[in-house]
Amino acid sequence: MTTSADETRAKTRGLAAARLPAWTEGLLGQLLAIGLSLAGGAVIILLIGENPLHVFGTLLRGAFGSSERIAGSLLQATPIIICGVAACIALRGGLFNIGVEGQLYVGGFAAAWVGFSFSLPPVIHLLVAMAAAVVAGGLWVLIPAFFRARYGTNEVVSTILGNYVAVLFTSYLTISVFKRPGGWSETDPIAITARLPQLVEYSRLNAGLFIGIVLAVGLQLFLKHTGAGYSMSAMGSNLKFAEYGGVRIRRNIFLILMVSGAVGGLAGGVETLGVHHRFMEGFAPGFGFDGVIAALLANGSPIGMIGTALFFGALRAGSLLMEVETNASREIITVIQAFIILCVSAQILVRRRTGQRGERRWRF
Amino acid sequence: MTYAIEMQGVTKRFGPLTANSNVAFSVGTGEIHALVGENGAGKTTLMNVLFGLHQPDEGTIRINGETVVMDSPRTAIARGLGMVHQHFKLVPSLTVAENIFLGMEITRNGLIDHKAQSAKVRELSEAFGLHVDPDRRVSELSVGIEQRVEILKVLARGASIVILDEPTAVLTPQESRDLFRILRGFTQKGMTVVFISHHLSEVMEVSDMVTVLRDGKVVGTKATKALSEDELVRMMVGRDVNFARRARRRSEGSPVLTLREICARDDRGLPTLRDISFEVRSGEIVGIVGVDGNGQTELAEVISGLRRPSFGEIVLAGQSVQAADPLTIREAGLAHVPGDRLRRGVDASASIASNILMGRQHKAPFAARGLIRWPYVREQAGKLIRQFDIRASGHKAVVKTLSGGNMQKVVLAREFSQQTPFLLVDQPTRGVDIGAMEGIHDEIMRQRASGAAILLISVQLDEILTLADRILVMFAGRIAGELDPEKTTEDEIGFLMAGRAAAEAKAAS
Repeated sequence: MTTSADETRAKTRGLAAARLPAWTEGLLGQLLAIGLSLAGGAVIILLIGENPLHVFGTLLRGAFGSSERIAGSLLQATPIIICGVAACIALRGGLFNIGVEGQLYVGGFAAAWVGFSFSLPPVIHLLVAMAAAVVAGGLWVLIPAFFRARYGTNEVVSTILGNYVAVLFTSYLTISVFKRPGGWSETDPIAITARLPQLVEYSRLNAGLFIGIVLAVGLQLFLKHTGAGYSMSAMGSNLKFAEYGGVRIRRNIFLILMVSGAVGGLAGGVETLGVHHRFMEGFAPGFGFDGVIAALLANGSPIGMIGTALFFGALRAGSLLMEVETNASREIITVIQAFIILCVSAQILVRRRTGQRGERRWRF
Repeated sequence: MTYAIEMQGVTKRFGPLTANSNVAFSVGTGEIHALVGENGAGKTTLMNVLFGLHQPDEGTIRINGETVVMDSPRTAIARGLGMVHQHFKLVPSLTVAENIFLGMEITRNGLIDHKAQSAKVRELSEAFGLHVDPDRRVSELSVGIEQRVEILKVLARGASIVILDEPTAVLTPQESRDLFRILRGFTQKGMTVVFISHHLSEVMEVSDMVTVLRDGKVVGTKATKALSEDELVRMMVGRDVNFARRARRRSEGSPVLTLREICARDDRGLPTLRDISFEVRSGEIVGIVGVDGNGQTELAEVISGLRRPSFGEIVLAGQSVQAADPLTIREAGLAHVPGDRLRRGVDASASIASNILMGRQHKAPFAARGLIRWPYVREQAGKLIRQFDIRASGHKAVVKTLSGGNMQKVVLAREFSQQTPFLLVDQPTRGVDIGAMEGIHDEIMRQRASGAAILLISVQLDEILTLADRILVMFAGRIAGELDPEKTTEDEIGFLMAGRAAAEAKAAS
């Protein structure tokens, strides 16, 4: 008698808990963060004496107004998606790779270098150049990864420091070693054989978009369906549990950071091989950071991250027209992103709290 | 007689589930009232209703004779109620005084007056015999002292009715006794105490009145003196529970685990295990008792590969493993039920199926060619849920929504189903109610019958006495003695646990 009562109780409890699937809660949170940030941006726009509706309208038109503009948004989103995958890999493994920006720069330079220094048959040249980007990105995170895995050095600090070195080092190589005679601070263009194919004629949008989407979907499947992916997400959600369960923590920390860095490098390669066809100083400002924020906003979910990265890409693309047609400067986008970061950090706090309370609520 | 608390006809529903059904709960002023029941009986919900954390669907609450609508904890605090939660809410980097006055700081010229805060804490601490140093950082305190800080927080907010949710679940026997002394001090000052517990010996020892809840309903409220422990158990679980000692024997099996001269250091680099040697044979349960903190945690860590021994040898199923990592040791033949279930034993935010998979995510038949076979995992999880009587909606249920006992069964199900020759079982029933405890003990006995070698570590003496074939007592990182549970007495064990035999031997030499 008691058992059957307990069983029904357990069943009903399960039902009540399952009423709202977890992902809708996450989506609500994202929308709330984005909404609040736009509202914050609106206040700033009011302060500079512009009409927020007009500014946001122009922003929307700039991002989605025509097929060229949509392509422009996707073009901007491409490196953010790939950088987002890099950030997601680290996040889901319980790590924080904030050095995606630096890995992007060295990856971009390495790919361009292979592109303009060698002549190889078409497809092979492209693959070798991308491989160079991957290797460079991985090498760039080698030191932080080693010290994190071996001595527990905080990877946030060490990867951030790598960013400055990467930006300045590639800049030095460009200006002092590989500068194109008579040009701006940029290298020689890469050979046509090393270019990523363009998708449409009217934009530089290229196959990199598919690389990003394939990587994101692949990561999602990896996490859900492979033993290694399971071990990795276990590390992310409870490191002590993973350690106890026999996951080789140190080795995995090293591998996760290396792979995250390699993908960050690939993002740079895609940008030089697909968009600029050379390496230029400041060729991809902030894409690495945007990728990290996109991943955070999506709470580490690769599929969700595609959505947030597209949003950031659209903001970037739309801001170009906004700057032309209104008095609002492009920096308003930075302001909105800063608000998003605030909202996301607040959300993480709130989620923790409600998580605790939720636990109490369902413990009778 | 005046009543500090009168709850009448309280009903609380969560969706289709009724957590409290027409509950009447009255507590006289100046008494210690125990609220007991199995996990899931509705104790915590009832107290959350009383404290304003939940709104009841029906029923009234009167505090000191006045009807009160408890719309928030703030109202409850204003009415003199204080609640000490099971999980402490302290900021480790702040001092005791800073924690106590968090949110109600004493200020002088707009700045926090640390001196006044410390003085106030010292005064309260003296008045109630709590002995807490207000200027220590919380991160330096033991669990027992942390709990006193929580109690001081409640007192500093002027509580005269103190509610404690399973206060002894995290305490050593000594700390529990100190707590009871403190609680009696409260009632001598005219305060009222409600405490939730499922340790019956404590309830018998400290309370004046007992209210038993079962399935959300009150089974009865009685004077503790008029009850025996057996009657109380019957009221809680609705049937008799068998706590008799289990059949036992000396095992003739071959040794599965052998430790030779094991030494280890703790996180601060201080020696914590000294020269530990013993063996566990197949088909026997070796029980390790000791006051918490005498090296048992480190011993479990060393055996499972989570901590490297600084000296000595460990042989598990014929393999030398003192320098191996957890994975290698598991493959050599270890299953491990960790003492800290929430922090180590489960991924609380994941499903039961996902928790069952841990440790086998690379192994057939759970995985093939690197891919997890989720249909098989789910099927196994369903089987284990039935076999181990885990009360949950199914394999999808998120582990943190389960009660402590059911969470522990998830851990047991995962570890015991691996059919390893050796089981390391650390605090299997900490914070688990009586009904579930019986099931867990049965399961351990079944594993023993099937020939597993079991090392059982527990701070609960009666658990060791019920299950173990041999008892090893730990004190200050050493094995203070080996005892035969058939012949020993609780006094003898207590003697060794307190380290007296060792001290006397030292004096004699």
